[in-house]
Formats: sequence, C-alpha cells, structure tokens
Amino acid sequence: MIAYAANLATIVAIFGILAATLNFLIGFAGIFSVAHAVFFGLGAYAGAQVALLLVPDALLACLVAAAVAGGLSLALALPALRVRGEYFVAASLGLQMMAATLFAEAKPVTGGIGGLVGIPRPTLLGVEVDVLPAALSALALILVLTARLQRGAFGRSLRAIRDAESAAEALGKNVAAAKTLAVAFACAGAGLAGALFALHLSFVNVESFTMDQSVLVMAMVIIGGTGTLWGPLIGAVILLSLPSGLAFLPFIPATEVGAVQQIIYGLAMTLLMIFRPAGLVGDLAKGRSTA
Amino acid sequence: MLLLQLLLQGLQTGALYALTAAGFALIFGATRIFHFAHGSAFTLAGYTFLLASGAGLPWWAGAAGGIAVATLFGIGMERLVYRPIQRHEGSFFTVFVAAFGVAVVVQNLVGMLAGRGFASVDTPLSRASEVLPEVFLAPVFWIALGVAAMLFAALSAFLGRHPAGVALRALAQNPDLIRTYGLSSSRLSVLAFALGSALAAPAAILAAMTSGLNEAIGHHAMLISIAATIVGGVGSLRGAALAGLMLGVAESMALAVVDTQWAEGVSFLVLFAFILFRPSGFFGVVQTR
Repeated sequence: MIAYAANLATIVAIFGILAATLNFLIGFAGIFSVAHAVFFGLGAYAGAQVALLLVPDALLACLVAAAVAGGLSLALALPALRVRGEYFVAASLGLQMMAATLFAEAKPVTGGIGGLVGIPRPTLLGVEVDVLPAALSALALILVLTARLQRGAFGRSLRAIRDAESAAEALGKNVAAAKTLAVAFACAGAGLAGALFALHLSFVNVESFTMDQSVLVMAMVIIGGTGTLWGPLIGAVILLSLPSGLAFLPFIPATEVGAVQQIIYGLAMTLLMIFRPAGLVGDLAKGRSTA
Repeated sequence: MLLLQLLLQGLQTGALYALTAAGFALIFGATRIFHFAHGSAFTLAGYTFLLASGAGLPWWAGAAGGIAVATLFGIGMERLVYRPIQRHEGSFFTVFVAAFGVAVVVQNLVGMLAGRGFASVDTPLSRASEVLPEVFLAPVFWIALGVAAMLFAALSAFLGRHPAGVALRALAQNPDLIRTYGLSSSRLSVLAFALGSALAAPAAILAAMTSGLNEAIGHHAMLISIAATIVGGVGSLRGAALAGLMLGVAESMALAVVDTQWAEGVSFLVLFAFILFRPSGFFGVVQTR
C-alpha cells in the first residue's frame, strides 16, 4: 500500500511538473502547444541515455534532459514567433505527430517501439536515492519558479504580449526574446519531468510520448484552470486518480479503462468549455485573452 | 514506371484530401470557426460505411448512412457546442478545447465499439489490374477522381449561383451585413457545417475502400485539412482543394525515397515551411490578426 501510494505520488509530481509548465505556456504566454509530450519524451530519452551510458546520477540526468529539451524547443519557438492562435496549434499538432514517428524510428537513440529497458536506479553523489523526493523537490522548484516568473517583469511582459502583441512591441518589449525564453523554460521543465519519469519507471518507450499524452496534460491544465498556479496540479491529481477509480467499477473491462478515461476527460473538456471556460479553479470574473 | 504509379496513387489520395480539406475550408471560411473536430466527421462517416458493409447492407445504403452521420455530426457540433460557446465568449482557445474534447471522445468511442487497428472494406472495385506495363490501377481510382471532380463542380455551381450559396460567401465576408439584409446568419452557419461535414464523407468512404481506416485517422484528416487550408490560403476554397491534391501527390511521390511512415511528414514539412515563410498561403491575402 505504501509502495502504491509512493508510486502514485511520484507520478502525480511528474505530471504536476508537466501540467505546470504547459500552463505557463498556455495561460501566461498564450502559446497553445499540443506538443508538450514531445519535450517530455526528449527529456526522458536524454535522461535514460545518461543513466545507461554514463552514470545514473539523478541530478546530471535531469540537467542534461532539461538542456536537450530546452535547446530543441526552438522547433516550437520558431512557429510561435511567426503565427498565433489556430496556425500555431496546427504547427504544434504536426510537430507532435512527426516526433512520435521519429521516436518510433530512431532506434539507436530511443530503442524504437521496444523502448529503452533496464535504466539503472538513480543515485545522488554515489548514494542510491528514491525518485519521489527528487520529483517532489523538482515540482516545488518549478512551482516557485513559475510563481516568481509570472509576478515579475518577465511574466508581465508575457501577459502583455499575450493580450496585445503589437502594443507590447510598441512599448519596447522584445517579443521574440520573451516568447523564445518562455518556450525554452516550459520545454526544459517538461524535459526534467521526462528524466524523472525514465528514472522512476526504469523503462521508456514511444507510447508515453504520443498525442494522447499531450492531450492528457492539456486536459489537466484546462480542467484544473488555465492561468492559475494550483489549478494544473489539481487537474493532475484528478486525472491521475481517474484510472484507479475506474478500476473499481466492475462493469468496465480492464482493456477499456484507458479509452473510458479518455472519453471522460474529453467530455469534461468540452462541457467545461461550454459551461465554465475558466476551469475548476479559475476565476470566472477575470477576463481572458481572445487570441 | 514506379514514379508514374506513385503519381497516380498520389492523385487518388490527393482527391480524397481535397474533398476533406474543402469541407474544412468551407466551414472556416463562412463561420470563422476553426473546426478542430472536422476529422471526427471523417472517422464517423468511414466507420458507418465499414459497419454497414460488415452487416451485409448494399454499398449505397452504407454510403448514404455515412454521409447522413457526418452531416448530423456537423449540425450537432454547430448547435450544441459552438453556438453555446460563442454566446458567452468564443475565444479561439475555448472553441479549440471544446472541439478537441469532442475529437478525443469520438476517437475512443469508435475504438471501443468498432475495435482498434486498421480496418477496410474489400470490394471488387479496390482490386487493381495492370493497365500499363508495371502500372496497376483499381477502378476506385477513377471513382475517387470522378467523385471529387463532380462534387467540386456542384459546389462551385452552388456557391456561385444558388441564393443560399451566395449568402454563404457573403457570410464569410461580412456577417453584420448579412443580418442587415434580413438573412439568418445562424441558419447559414448550420448550412456551412452540414455541407462541410458532408464533404468529408465521400472521402472517408473511399478511404475505407482503399487504404483503410483506424480509430485515430481523424487526427490525420485534421492535419491534412489544416495544412491544405493554410497552404492554399485561408478563405480560398479552391486553394484548399488544390493544396489537398498537391499534398496527396507529394506524400505519394516521397515514397520513392522514404518509407511509408514518413509520408505524413512531407505534409508536415510543407505546412511548417508555409507557416514560417508564407503564413498567408498561395491564394490568401495577408491577414491582419
């Protein structure tokens, strides 16, 4: 039971990081990425390779993963600089689908469909450690960082760009730099989550980094409430406890639990948008951007 | 000969892409709603046809059923999802998430009810025979091209001459003026959704007879529709159709160099290049957003 709870807590912390960073993109920068799982995957593969080839040092794996994902986030930042709204969603949708093919085909790096197996237990300074404390501290770090960023000058510039890009530019804000930085920060965070995920499961394959995963993370952000600090975390807790909750319902066959879960959060997304667009935690009275 | 074979196959795929993309472009052009669940109309129509054929119904019953289901889906989306949202807010983000949620639900419902993985209908029409040395064509090739050409002729006649078609084009240009003239913009937008979704149905049915369907095909149909609409130029139905045809040919020709799983990547690269260098597309005017 304790092992089960610890496992669930680790997964919640990892997805909390994913949801919080995606929320930073969607809620504060107005960049609607449906490709967050790509950078989660890049981080996971990078972290796994560090652990397999070099040393299974948790800190090193996380840093490398964040650097790889943050660096390659340029693939997302470039279209974000050119277009917004629907056009950008289209670009990120394409990126997500291409990346899934790439992950499945680049066998030397990702192990293809079979994935990377036997990732060693993580250590810190040579001592074997659990992933849970590492994941919790990483989550705390990300939450503190996003809270600070959004209150500071950078967050305010981002919100200004989100609401009125030309006006922000006219006021002398460097729109390109701010957007690129926001994307790099969010993607590095997703990469960090990926490394923790790889170390926790000691196995990764492409199935964790597909469109479905991106949709799941997006659902967490939206159901919890975009643009809030705690909303995405609450969304992560709700959506991750859904499968274990469904397992108790006897009339759903075990093979269909995944599909039933997706149907539930797909419906939840649609119904929320119709009746309560700000999400569970969101403030209804506060105006939101019309990108 | 391989190149000719690939070109012909590309034309066949491209005709289907053109139909799907034209439906999307029609909806987006008239209502300014980025209908992210358009791929679901494709999936639903294709699977209706599959199930009808599986149940031993004649092909025309399956086809009619597929078209009816797609049309009803389009009307339902407009009435039950987009209309209530636009009443209170209607930002791009809200519309996108709501439509995306529907797409997720449809994909999983279809997967649960009809089974996962590829499924197709095998008819005598999809059996290829050698028409030229080393070039194989199935009768369905001519059907795909014929159906696409016929529907486009009908569509442009409708948009050009019929009062409702002219009103649809007017809705695209100036919704306020439509109301001033006493026309119902809400009824017209239902018409746009019905027509646009119905256009995806023949493509889905033909796809079910050739390459086959799986429950996630909606994402692919969606990506192609968006790519064709952007490449062709937003607001241009002809542009979207031409771009769809081009993407089909490009995907197929690429098979001469790369493996099948990368074919979709060609469409994506074209889309990416257009977004980076010419977001207004071939025939579009530069948008001031």
